[in-house]
Amino acid sequence: MASIRQSGFGAYDAHQADSAAAQWKADKWMIAGTILMGTGVLGIIGLPMFFYGMHLQKLAARAGFSVRPLIVTLIGYLVIIDSALNSMGWTLDLFAHHTLINRVLTVGWGALFDGGYFWHYNELWVGGAGAPGEKAWEIALIPCLFCARLAAAIGLLQMKRWGQQWLIVTCWMGIIVWTGYNTNMTIFADVRYANIAFPVWGWWLYDIWYITPFLALPYLHTVNREIFSE
Amino acid sequence: MNTSTDNSLPLGTTAHYATMHTWLQRGLFACLVVLVIEASLSLPLIAVWMGWPTLSLTEICHEMTKVRYSSDAAECKVPHPLFDPSEGVAFKDSAEDLWGIQPRPLYKRIGYRDLVRFRDERLAREEAARSRNALAAAPAPITDASTPAPASASAED
Repeated sequence: MASIRQSGFGAYDAHQADSAAAQWKADKWMIAGTILMGTGVLGIIGLPMFFYGMHLQKLAARAGFSVRPLIVTLIGYLVIIDSALNSMGWTLDLFAHHTLINRVLTVGWGALFDGGYFWHYNELWVGGAGAPGEKAWEIALIPCLFCARLAAAIGLLQMKRWGQQWLIVTCWMGIIVWTGYNTNMTIFADVRYANIAFPVWGWWLYDIWYITPFLALPYLHTVNREIFSE
Repeated sequence: MNTSTDNSLPLGTTAHYATMHTWLQRGLFACLVVLVIEASLSLPLIAVWMGWPTLSLTEICHEMTKVRYSSDAAECKVPHPLFDPSEGVAFKDSAEDLWGIQPRPLYKRIGYRDLVRFRDERLAREEAARSRNALAAAPAPITDASTPAPASASAED
């Protein structure tokens, strides 16, 4: 019986249980790191925690455990960080526009990279950025796109098929967002870029790192989807 | 379906897409690291650019408002009362723009620690104005009846 347990289903179950434990041990570090990185200012503390979690996952893979592919881990957590940072910045502008920290951070950022967050700031009755179209993007994207993408990323990290499928859907939404947002900025380029410190090239240098959907989509469309469970 | 027989490939990656997946992984890693460092340092670096610690955060807020509305009178209300109208409404008339279907702002560009210089220049202007006002408001010197009138006054008579 003992030999059957070791070579049959028992051994498989034990391997699965050990793999899940190794993955969870690594995930605990990466989740803690991601929560800190999602706050923005505490990211420097979260980054080494995240790296340590990645290191644990690599060790587990080398030891022969069934853990997530590294690229899936990176996509999942990067999508969460990207969504968290976008949501936090825009939520500050939507709901906390008259706080001192927002009037230094967001308005200061506006004066450096994007005049849409400096020009006639806090004049709309809803407050915050007054650049043409900006409020519409914020209201549409925070609840519709970023919340859905966060949920999809969690599903992807759990290796669920719906996570992969919904991440494909929300990353395509991201392509629409990048196209629409940049077209809006181009049409109202004077409001966005006139008399600010780092116009156009500065905005791209600052924001290009939010390009996650463009990197996730080619993978999500070419990965063997059988690795994601129904 | 994974048709690869190469066990060195990551789970889910076929040989056909292996190179692309490697480069995507590198790109994702770079994005994550830069994004996190950038988000971490944004607030402190913006504050330093704008003049902290020479200026407090409240003073930075004041000075940026003055630049935005091209007016020395514009100020941040800290803390802003919860149900007050948006603060910019009070100053909007002094804002300088070329209005049109695509408006163009005409405020000053804020370079590295320019707000400190703007603050110093404004304080100097205010001090000069105070001195001028003090001089103008000062009572005329009391003159003795026996003192001869100035030549110019005599000439006018």
